[in-house]
Amino acid sequence: MALIETHGLEDPISEAGKGYWSGVGSRLIRDPVTMICLGVILLLILSAVFAPYLGLADPYTGSMIKRLAPIGTEGHILGTDEQGRDMLARLIYGGRLTLFIGLMPVVLAFFIGGALGIVAGYLGGWVNTVIMRTVDVFFAFPSVLLAIAISGALGAGILNSLVSLTIVFIPPITRVAEAVTSGVRSLDYIDAARASGANALTVIRVHVIGNVLSPIFVYATSLTSVCMILAAGLSFLGIGVRPPEPEWGLMLNTLRSAIYINPWLSALPGLMIFITSLCLNLLSDGVRSAMNVKD
Amino acid sequence: MKHFKKGVATLLVAASLCAQGAWAQGTLRVGMTAADIPLTTGQTDQGGEGMRFMGYTVYDSLIEWDLTSADKPSALIPGLATAWSVDDADKTKWTFTLREGVTYHDGSPFTAADVVWNFDKLLDETSEQYDSRQAAQGKSRIPAVASYTAIDDYTLEIITKTPDATLPYQLAWILISSPAQFEAVGKDWEAFAASPSGTGPWKLETFVPRERAELVPNTAYWDETRIPKLDKMVLIPLPEPNARAAALLSGQVDWIEAPAPDTIPAMTGNGFVISSNAYPHNWTWHLSRTEGSPWNDIRVRQAANLAVDREGMSALLGGLMIPAKGFLPPSSQWFGTPTFDVRYDPEAAKALLAEAGYSLENPLKVKALISPSGSGQMLPLPMNEYLQQNLAQVGIDVEFVVVEWNQMINLWRAGAEDPSVEGAMSINFTYFIQDPFTGLIRHLSCDLIAPNGTNWGHYCDPEMQGLFDQIKNTFDAEEQDAVMRATHEKYVNDALFLMVTHDVAPRALAPNVKGFVQAQNWYQNFSSITME
Amino acid sequence: MHVMARDLIYLRTATVFTYFLRRVILMLPVAFGVSVICFMLVQIAPGDPLTAIMPVDATADEQAAMRAIYGLDKPLPVQYAIWIGNLFQGDMGKSIATGRPVADEVFGAVQNSLLLAFSAAVIAFPIGIFLGFLAGYFRDTLLDRAVTAISIAGVSVPNYWLGIVLVIIFSVNLGWLPSMGAGPGGSQDWAWDWLHMRHLVLPAVTLAVVPIGIVARTVRALAGDLLTQDFVTALYAKGMSRGDVLRHVARNAAATALSVMGLQLGYLLGGSILIETVFNWPGSGFLLSNAIFQRDLPLLQGTILVLALFFVAMNLIVDVAQAAIDPRIKRS
Repeated sequence: MALIETHGLEDPISEAGKGYWSGVGSRLIRDPVTMICLGVILLLILSAVFAPYLGLADPYTGSMIKRLAPIGTEGHILGTDEQGRDMLARLIYGGRLTLFIGLMPVVLAFFIGGALGIVAGYLGGWVNTVIMRTVDVFFAFPSVLLAIAISGALGAGILNSLVSLTIVFIPPITRVAEAVTSGVRSLDYIDAARASGANALTVIRVHVIGNVLSPIFVYATSLTSVCMILAAGLSFLGIGVRPPEPEWGLMLNTLRSAIYINPWLSALPGLMIFITSLCLNLLSDGVRSAMNVKD
Repeated sequence: MKHFKKGVATLLVAASLCAQGAWAQGTLRVGMTAADIPLTTGQTDQGGEGMRFMGYTVYDSLIEWDLTSADKPSALIPGLATAWSVDDADKTKWTFTLREGVTYHDGSPFTAADVVWNFDKLLDETSEQYDSRQAAQGKSRIPAVASYTAIDDYTLEIITKTPDATLPYQLAWILISSPAQFEAVGKDWEAFAASPSGTGPWKLETFVPRERAELVPNTAYWDETRIPKLDKMVLIPLPEPNARAAALLSGQVDWIEAPAPDTIPAMTGNGFVISSNAYPHNWTWHLSRTEGSPWNDIRVRQAANLAVDREGMSALLGGLMIPAKGFLPPSSQWFGTPTFDVRYDPEAAKALLAEAGYSLENPLKVKALISPSGSGQMLPLPMNEYLQQNLAQVGIDVEFVVVEWNQMINLWRAGAEDPSVEGAMSINFTYFIQDPFTGLIRHLSCDLIAPNGTNWGHYCDPEMQGLFDQIKNTFDAEEQDAVMRATHEKYVNDALFLMVTHDVAPRALAPNVKGFVQAQNWYQNFSSITME
Repeated sequence: MHVMARDLIYLRTATVFTYFLRRVILMLPVAFGVSVICFMLVQIAPGDPLTAIMPVDATADEQAAMRAIYGLDKPLPVQYAIWIGNLFQGDMGKSIATGRPVADEVFGAVQNSLLLAFSAAVIAFPIGIFLGFLAGYFRDTLLDRAVTAISIAGVSVPNYWLGIVLVIIFSVNLGWLPSMGAGPGGSQDWAWDWLHMRHLVLPAVTLAVVPIGIVARTVRALAGDLLTQDFVTALYAKGMSRGDVLRHVARNAAATALSVMGLQLGYLLGGSILIETVFNWPGSGFLLSNAIFQRDLPLLQGTILVLALFFVAMNLIVDVAQAAIDPRIKRS
């Protein structure tokens, strides 16, 4: 389940410019699979954001008498969970937390790891050594192990999961950022900019970021599905989101014994994780090929 | 859906047939809830389950619980001691007559010197057999014991710190390991753990840490009626409830402890038998009685007790619970006849709350400590959420402070006044309530106020304290039972806890497991079981 | 001609060996960092590790005595120094929850995890390579799309969920395969017969799903790339048969494929924790989750350390092997 690779980024310098981006856009639109996946993800995000306005049942209160109602029950289209709470409402509200702790760590790691990698790659020298050797140490742990170890040590909780997953995804992003930045750094026009006396920050801001951001971004998108599965896995183990919050991994866990009463019902949260992660992967592939990043 | 179950049924029959073929007749494989094989050296860990499967099976104590009847609460019976009495003049001096002709699994004879040796194992840090692991489990169980002497091979004298009539109950905790075996394995408890020796009805044959332990009958056991009929009993740790259920349903084990309620229909539907019985366990909210706690008002306490729809909660647990009528289970020999009837009566609850100055519009707001898991906690989250709904309907607005089980234990030790409880006014902590001390005294005694003891709520009441003293000073068993009943009546009449339910220790057995009698106790007798 | 070849081999071996040495030396600070992280991890943990072993109503004095026995009353750097000092003597301390030596617990469990990881690899790698090669060779055909779909699905499936579903179908519903454990007599009397190996089937298959996807994707990309490269066209132009060309391509792809698979093996070992929990497999992941829930510090430290160091060593082996196979790889 761990998929953190740094391959496929041999040509970091993308031909930045309007023409390039409109080309990427039109290639994306002509790719039906990617567009469908984008649609699914957007739908999930929108329904999660606007969940309170969708006229759903309360995802926190249920009725014991109506517990584990099958899919298709009147009033509960997707049935009810082990505490009689509406499954549809819990799956949609669950999307909030699941997507949040599934995507947020990658976003955070994109900024933190990206910044670290660019600084390391641009400045080189001992700064590079300090940053990259520290990253190496964290990179020495398999991602699942590191996430579980940190979460296990910190204990359950949304914030703790966020922290542990962010720590897991910073090292690979830093590595990629460092690699592409060192590549860009040696280019003539950056040398020229440096020679003209511009300070490091300005050079990074003006010249480097524009060139390295898209490969780092493409790489980061490929991590989102791993992160989501991992985040849900932490909750599934009991060291992620705490009950009674709706979250797909946790729902999968609490519905485990219901598998003997209503197998389809208990499969729903797992199915949601699967579909979302599938779409994230396909979307990332689509973006990658639209941006002409080598696979 | 029906299709699914039918499929399960036919294939399970096939599976269990295969399973039988692969195994010798008369092997019982048990799926435990513990994550590891309990400590095998004598004094077990892993709580009640450890004592049940690795304590009273391989070892004996001086005084034991009668585990032969399912119909009445179990009482103390002679074990390695055949008789005991307290000195008429000096109520701290006890004399025990020990059983003759008992041998350990290693063949060495059991004598009074061995009991002294075993006490030293737990209490004397300078003795060569002192074992910090066993001491951690056993020392706190015998707070009364001051000193002990072997008068002759079969007479033992114990001096208590103060007169304490609950000593026999305390001694029921202490398991006797073989000094000769300890000597033989080089005075090393780790080596002893691999080949332990006690006097119990079962001998530990092999054990693989975290995976399995195999027990075989001790055919030379001193109580012939308790020589096991099985060829072998295999203990397998299966902490995950669904892994336990799957193992039973796929024929990998014949018996599981604590099946999850939702897995029970699939089991009964396929001929598996659910065994359950009352036993001394309760599921309550231990209330804070510190200054400013709303629970100091008896009307609020009684109102909360009347607000709980215990029958409704039963649905959640698949009927596997006994609605609380008091702190002890209704069938307890110490239940008595309390005047406050613990029942579901929301109107009466509202009336009491109105007297206390609360209403639906102006609800009492209170914080409560709960944990999403924990040993003996049943299904803490759904049950507490259900309770929260019940209480909200009469005007008690509960906010939960949810902490992990290990943290919960620390907060329970710290007590209600500790800042770490974050202002919570109750703790949902289930109790082992099998004897006078664990059942009643330890929760409310003035000298055990947390963090120096187990009185979490800082309750201290002279009348209650008087009753506790009386329990300790009543040496006649029947009279002591009467005082116990009076004490419990006060527990209930004053509504000192939010009394919700009792667990019934469900276990699921394959159809071919016969002869098991589930005693009303934390421990069980496995000797009568046969496999067909 | 002969002499030249021998010299080349000698040179290659020497270079690989120096490379290996350099990598080992570079590995040392990483290993040190790993040990510090392992040690610190459990220090940031809230809760008291002694909770697991003391009866709930043990007194404060009894707890303090126990804390002293386990050295938990000493300052952190001292605890670390003691821990690392003992480590070098092969002593990883004793588990707080069980009292058994951590080294025994961890190495026993790692063996079981390795068994599971290798079994999963044996299932995953050939299938992944086959599928990937098929897709890469028949690029942009229906077959390619099918393989891509399978591999993306494999990478996207939460395998802990898949495990539960497989147990329901094959253990509970059909009764074909056992749902838990490492054999009828536990892992100690493991044997390579069906009675034991059937316990491996479900966890190994579940664990294999993700690497099948990853290996298939990698091999597809490699094969696709190589087949379109100039030298392949040149080989065809030279009149080489289809089979010979394929062999060439395979050799060229081997180095990269090997590195991906080596890494995957490491991930299988570290990532099997969820699967081991689902199947009650007595491996390192199962041990780890027990250690987490019992707050068993020495055991937690030991397990993470051993797994991480194993992963580090795995990376080293992969890099060196890659360098040995593919002379084009020159590392700075």
